[in-house]
Amino acid sequence: MSARLPRGVEALLRRLLPGDLVEPIAGDLLEEYLDARARRGAPRAHVWVWWQAIRLAATLRWDRAAHGRPLPPIGDDLRATGSVWDSIRQDVIFGARMLRRQPGFTAVALVALSLGIGASTAMFSIVDAALWRPLPFPRADRIMSLAEQRPREGRWFGPIAPADFFDWRRDNRSFSALAAYMSQPISRPVSYNLTGTGEPERVRALQASPAFLGVLGISPVVGRDFRPEEEIFGRHRVVLLADSLWRRRFGADPSIVGRAISFDGAPYEVIGLLPARFWWPSAPEVIVPLALEDSDRALRSAHFLDAIGRLRDGVSEQQARDDLRAVGVRLAAAFPAENARHAPNFRSLRDALVGDVRPALLILLGAVAFVMLIACANVATLLLARAAGRQRELSVRRALGATRGRVVQQMLTESVAIALAGGAAGLLLAAWCLAVFRAIVPAQLAGLPGIAGVGLDGRALAAALALSTASGLIFGVLPALAASDRRLGSSLAEETRGASGGARAHRLRSTFVVAELALSLVLLAGAALLILSFRNLMNVSPGFQPRRILTAQVTLPWSRYPDHTRTMAFFDALYERLGAAPRVERVAATTSLPFDGADSRLNFEIEHRTLDSPTPVRVHPRLVSPGYFSTMGIPVVRGRGFTEHDDASSVQVAIVNEAAARRYWPGDDPIGQRISIGAPDRWLQIVGIVGDTRHEGLDADTDPAAYLPQRQPFTSLGAGFERSMAIVVRTDADVAAMAATIRGAVAGVDALLPIGMVRPMTDLIDESVASRRLDFMLVSAFALVAVVLTAAGLYGVMAYVVVQRTREIGVRMALGATRAKVLALMFRQAGALTAVGVALGVVGALLLTRSMTSLLFGVSAADPIVLVLVSSLLTLVAVAAVAIPSSRATRIDPLVALRD
Amino acid sequence: MAGPDVSTLGEFEHVVLLAILRLGDEAYAVAVRDEILERTGRDVSRGSIYITLDRLETKGYLRSHLADPTPERGGRAKRYYTLRPRAVEALKESRRALVALWRGLESVLA
Repeated sequence: MSARLPRGVEALLRRLLPGDLVEPIAGDLLEEYLDARARRGAPRAHVWVWWQAIRLAATLRWDRAAHGRPLPPIGDDLRATGSVWDSIRQDVIFGARMLRRQPGFTAVALVALSLGIGASTAMFSIVDAALWRPLPFPRADRIMSLAEQRPREGRWFGPIAPADFFDWRRDNRSFSALAAYMSQPISRPVSYNLTGTGEPERVRALQASPAFLGVLGISPVVGRDFRPEEEIFGRHRVVLLADSLWRRRFGADPSIVGRAISFDGAPYEVIGLLPARFWWPSAPEVIVPLALEDSDRALRSAHFLDAIGRLRDGVSEQQARDDLRAVGVRLAAAFPAENARHAPNFRSLRDALVGDVRPALLILLGAVAFVMLIACANVATLLLARAAGRQRELSVRRALGATRGRVVQQMLTESVAIALAGGAAGLLLAAWCLAVFRAIVPAQLAGLPGIAGVGLDGRALAAALALSTASGLIFGVLPALAASDRRLGSSLAEETRGASGGARAHRLRSTFVVAELALSLVLLAGAALLILSFRNLMNVSPGFQPRRILTAQVTLPWSRYPDHTRTMAFFDALYERLGAAPRVERVAATTSLPFDGADSRLNFEIEHRTLDSPTPVRVHPRLVSPGYFSTMGIPVVRGRGFTEHDDASSVQVAIVNEAAARRYWPGDDPIGQRISIGAPDRWLQIVGIVGDTRHEGLDADTDPAAYLPQRQPFTSLGAGFERSMAIVVRTDADVAAMAATIRGAVAGVDALLPIGMVRPMTDLIDESVASRRLDFMLVSAFALVAVVLTAAGLYGVMAYVVVQRTREIGVRMALGATRAKVLALMFRQAGALTAVGVALGVVGALLLTRSMTSLLFGVSAADPIVLVLVSSLLTLVAVAAVAIPSSRATRIDPLVALRD
Repeated sequence: MAGPDVSTLGEFEHVVLLAILRLGDEAYAVAVRDEILERTGRDVSRGSIYITLDRLETKGYLRSHLADPTPERGGRAKRYYTLRPRAVEALKESRRALVALWRGLESVLA
């Protein structure tokens, strides 16, 4: 064991303690350190001695400073260190004085920096929460999201058929547990009618395999987890409550565990409570076992499950992939009809959750980085201008013996101080931006991890601090070097002559302005492309008339509506009541509302025909009530719509959309032909063709769909498909006022039935484009800030040029140059900068906007018109920025210019 | 500030001086701190010990000397402190004043 203090502690003491105290204190500390090392081990002793050394140094220095007593002389080292600190303190005080004396400069620099740092910090917080922070589960990197891939449809992560899931679960050897849950769009979670205590209400539910919490690595805080047998239908009436529901609805009463509550009219036993910090994208308020009836468990052609699994310890992703592929191959061989083109697939849970939002987030982060760079360049040009004005002061300093390093230190201290002040203001801005973001976060982003509570935290603060300091150094170092690079005396002379000195600094400023122009152009191009995409998207017709339609979700509980007859009795009564209500023009219902995210797909067959298609033959089956097409404004192109007479006792009928007619009956008439959907030998006669509607989004292609009458029982997706319907009401009045009408009508038919998701149809469409809207608005805002900063930078450079060349211009004018000639001179100079900046920007835009392709719609990333437009726009801004200083140049009085 | 004056002797200075007196020839910072801990149960910070020793020396209550460097301290010297007569006077005076004030109060505070 060496009798030595840890490296660094000794140096610290030497540096900070008064010289006469170093020896005895170091000796004392070493004595105690050795003792501590022997008793508590080296690591703890190490930490201890560092802590003591820092405390001692701080206490003793503070005491010395506080009392100002004459103390023994301080060591040379300390004097040297002291002088560095003192000089920095001097620099800060001096810099602050300079900043106060130039409020214009200070304000512009602070605004530029706070915009840059604020936007960057806010964006960083969002991206960090969504993409980089670990998910809130133990060893979250081992949790995979499983899916069924259908390469021939270009679908790599689709929902899973129940029978396939159970086979994967039984046959795989790579996952310690697999759990399935009902596939559901985040915008429309599965919900249950909770009745009994208080008002009936719909609570968001997650139906998941008993192993679900185990896969996530979470246990209930009170009570127990599900048992494996609770996924058997009939033994599944147990429920786990989320903390929020438990507090809101049950007053945080722990004795609720063990009691029964009523879901959809059936009693469920509360078996446990979820931890308060439990998080899942759909924010379920209850979790119930995913219990499928035997007929549903055997389904292999209906895909409606998602699944997660935890990799076994020691199993690599590749091993798991090989293992699952083998399982898939066996299933494809055993069930060629359903599984020939399907295979299991998986990716990390994080990737599954973030999905296609990742590129948008990264592009936004890139855009914000551009704004930050522009802000830095902007402040750098300001600093250069300021340094030029301070040339005399700096020269005097050099003359009085300040080294170049000392001058650079002073300039850097000032720039870092400005940056830190800008960073502080930026943090306020970031906090405000995040508060706004939390309020308007679009549904597509709300399910991302950490987004709901995104805010400034230690990581964001650290990022802002690092960004401020780094930017202070970056934008400060070149001006500082340029300003200090003067041969002694030359600038003293130069300044008095007032000639166009500082050529090098001027070149540097021009470079910064060119960089700003180029960066701005890239941002402008990106913003223009996104705006165009959004406009193109909003011009897409959804295929129906969304205005003045209000929608609401109604789900009938099994317990009170066990069969088709009773279900239809409810809906008939509801349609009648609503139809008779004032201001209601039309009323109808569907199982799958456009833009709602909910839809299913099933294989189908055409009678007497074998479809030879490269892609699987599938349609979206949608149950609708008789008035659906007229209520929605979907045109019946040929044949007829549904009527009240299409019921259980009549011929089974179907209506296809034009996409289905085009794909499966090219050059043929589908009307009169028979199809079967998901259930072989149950033939449905096609009686009509209706127009296509956009369903998954305005940017999504229309898939083949088959509409079926709600009155005719349809069981291919499990019994009771017709019990969960979206009601659509067309009114001639304000849609918002209709909500009460719908509630009243539902309560009039069944007082115990809550309704959920009352939304105008236009809101649904708006929500579907909300994240695109956010993208283009953010990038446009960034571009706007960029252009303003760039204009300010260009203005600054030209104003400086005018001041520097006053004498020259005066001479020219004295010799007969006209105002036009002077203007031309100015614009030639500005024009050169702008041309170079714009040219570089166009190249940059061509290179960078390609990464945005996934966010564009109906416009090419290299759209020439966009590039010409934004180049012209930026040139116009540049002209405007140059106009003021140039007109000042033309007003120079030769007499005054030459005399001064 | 001529002569011993109780008011110039802070409570902690008092404690430190007594500890040094008890330690005799062995009074250096670590030992002083340990002595105070052992006798009074007070775990005082190292910084305050050094500050107080420094201050008492400046005030003329203590004198110090560096002992020869020892290998177990990495060849570093210990700074030993001893009381100057002024300190002994101050302690006596302080004790006298306290005893006088205590007299007759034993029954109240016992």
